Amino acid sequence: MKIQNLQLLALFIFPITFLFFSCSSSTTEMTFDSSKLRKASQEEVEKVIEAFILAQDGDVIEIPEGFYSFKTQLILDNKNNIQIKGQGMDKTVFSFRELKTGGEGVKLVGNEILIQDLSIEDAPGDGVKSQHVDGMTFRRINVTWTNGDKSKNGTYAIYPVQCKNVLIDECIASHSKDAGIYVGQSENIVVKNSLAFGNVAGIEIENSDNAEVYGNTARDNSGGILVFNLPGLPKSDGKGTKIYDNDIITNNHVNFATPLGEDPNGNTVTMIPPGSGIILLAAKDVEIYNNRIHKNKTVGIAIANYHVTGFPMDAPNWSPFTSNIYVHNNDFKRTWRFPDLTKEFGQLISVYNAHGKGKTQDIIYDGFFDQSLAENILSNPMNICVQEAGIAELHFTLFDLWEGEANIKASKDYNPFVCQTEVFTDVSHLTHK
Amino acid sequence: MLSVEFRILFGVLFLGMALSCSQKTSEEIERWEPSAIVVAEWPEKSMDQIDFANIPFKNLSDYGFFKGEVTALAPKDRVLPYAPASSLFTDYAYKSRFIWMPEGETATINPDEEGTLDFPDQTILIKNFYYPLDFAQPQGPKRIIETRLMVKQNGIWEAYPYIWKDDQSDAEYKVVGAEQTVHWKDAAGETQVINYLVPNKNQCKSCHNANEVMVPIGVKAKHLNHTIDFLEGASNQLVKWASEGMLNGFDHPEAYPKMVDYFDSKEPLELRAKAYLDINCAHCHRAEGPASTSGLFLTYEEKDPLKLGVFKTPVAAGFGAGSFKYAILPGKADESILTYRMETNIVGAAMPEIGRVTTHREGLDLIKTWINGMNVKAYN
Repeated sequence: MKIQNLQLLALFIFPITFLFFSCSSSTTEMTFDSSKLRKASQEEVEKVIEAFILAQDGDVIEIPEGFYSFKTQLILDNKNNIQIKGQGMDKTVFSFRELKTGGEGVKLVGNEILIQDLSIEDAPGDGVKSQHVDGMTFRRINVTWTNGDKSKNGTYAIYPVQCKNVLIDECIASHSKDAGIYVGQSENIVVKNSLAFGNVAGIEIENSDNAEVYGNTARDNSGGILVFNLPGLPKSDGKGTKIYDNDIITNNHVNFATPLGEDPNGNTVTMIPPGSGIILLAAKDVEIYNNRIHKNKTVGIAIANYHVTGFPMDAPNWSPFTSNIYVHNNDFKRTWRFPDLTKEFGQLISVYNAHGKGKTQDIIYDGFFDQSLAENILSNPMNICVQEAGIAELHFTLFDLWEGEANIKASKDYNPFVCQTEVFTDVSHLTHK
Repeated sequence: MLSVEFRILFGVLFLGMALSCSQKTSEEIERWEPSAIVVAEWPEKSMDQIDFANIPFKNLSDYGFFKGEVTALAPKDRVLPYAPASSLFTDYAYKSRFIWMPEGETATINPDEEGTLDFPDQTILIKNFYYPLDFAQPQGPKRIIETRLMVKQNGIWEAYPYIWKDDQSDAEYKVVGAEQTVHWKDAAGETQVINYLVPNKNQCKSCHNANEVMVPIGVKAKHLNHTIDFLEGASNQLVKWASEGMLNGFDHPEAYPKMVDYFDSKEPLELRAKAYLDINCAHCHRAEGPASTSGLFLTYEEKDPLKLGVFKTPVAAGFGAGSFKYAILPGKADESILTYRMETNIVGAAMPEIGRVTTHREGLDLIKTWINGMNVKAYN
């Protein structure tokens, strides 16, 4: 089941779309100017490469102040208790602009690894990737791209995958063509006190268990914070995420994951409509509370099922449905800016919401549900709970997309979803690190 | 206004053409010429005296693998050549591979579907990468770029890269990698020039990796179960190894898995395509490999169309997905991410991630033919 051909709709509103393209902003803001740093000599650069290659368990790799330009990847190969320390994110900078081959600038594998106080710039693929690490800490690292033309930027800035016990603290991730901070197929995760801006997706938790995302600022991305579960992966599904005390504001950046005017490709992030605060997709057990969700022009929180992607949904040990969600005590502020029309999902919200064409929505639910559990959605079969004090004044839309584009229905009725539920996470062992 | 813009546009175009033309004028590039070669002989050194505790040695010549004139790369007794049926594309480099095992020790073929091999400690794998100056004469003058060793000690494999000197007298251990301009005349007589990238030591494990443990790739029964020429005559490699006393409990070749040569047009297209994907992609794209994150598994043994990429959406491909939705769209190779990533040379999108800066045209054609021949209906 998928939304049938919204292309027709797109054709109809294309002229309008064109008019409003300029409404999505773009930024190439830099936290500091790395070009003013002292250039490290070839010898110093090779010394860093060798320190990674020859690292032994327990090593502390200290990198002095300077701008280090690498032509090869920095790889830490399955080592334990390693600390990689720069002199500060505006003092020690790794540039991978000259990298000719390799999927990421820095790759970390092992156990109990810490990387802190440095910047990573201009990796052709991902900035820093950690894989199969138990005990991975990123602290005060800044990962970015300095290209004026953002279409040349890389995929993920900070990218732990298949890891356990991940702590991302006081980091900055900006200008990624996909997600700035992306945690995939991992368990026990804390993302806190970090800043993600100018990315397509600010912070993304994907196919992961037991995550807390708090005290962060996600601003000026296309989408602020995402919780996704994608089909067909070794870690087949994920559950348990709390998102609280975050500033999720003005995430109205143009979605530059594909070239302007080009259709989304198979990457789900290419479908994200600019102006999205939080998006849940096939997410399980998520609690969203005490966040400031301000001035995201399309939607504050979107609760979506995988059906909206239109992609195949056959995968073992995975469900396309979003279930057991608790949204409460958030602070919403809408904007007068026109919601997105560049993406199908944006068009759906902009045109078919229950509050009137062109109105920003605070919370939407796409209305797909497991039909083996109930006959209609009014019994709230997926346990989607929303308890917001000002719910009557919020723009809440429940869609019914079962009949496809031919007959899209929308309702303001939030009453079936006024409930409480419990989401369990426990990351206390990570917050004292 | 418009005409000014046009003039600028043409100016840029012209400059671009001029630049790309000047790049192709191979005379202007500082070339390595065979006159740089200093004819030398390998020093006398017995492999029985190798002090494994001191590996890696500074020079390749310190091991004693070869004899006679240096660039001939002629192996000593018991340094046995081997070749996988299908081989990894590495920017059209030629490769010569050898294995040495301590005398009296044996390897065992495991009863798994690939026929992985357990090797004794002190086994050494030797792989030379070189370019004949003229591909029409592969035995003629050549430039050797690098020699990669894998040595097993205390149950653990480790990789050691050696980079050849310009004078081709020896190769030196270097962990940080290198970049070298290489040129050759291809089969069509065209001069090709590339910046060949020697990986750094830890990049070896980007491919040689099963569950974060370093492993060999080519020395599995399925890659070796075919006939090659030895000095003493042609033989199935497994049979040869058994007759040299290198294999424990060897049965007969039919008892072990066997992969086809993807260049052998007499073999079925499906097997050729899967053999190509196996040796070029499956070291990462398998359940125990680094690219398991993608859920795209490209081993010769994989049967599940979704895992092979059919109607499979990407996960973390980023701009590697191009403008496409699926790894493989049956019947439409030009709308499949798989072929897009094989063809592009953009860093971060190109696959494999390391080991090539050029496109393998022949391999790409094979995979395109395979995908174009797929019937969509068979997968719906």
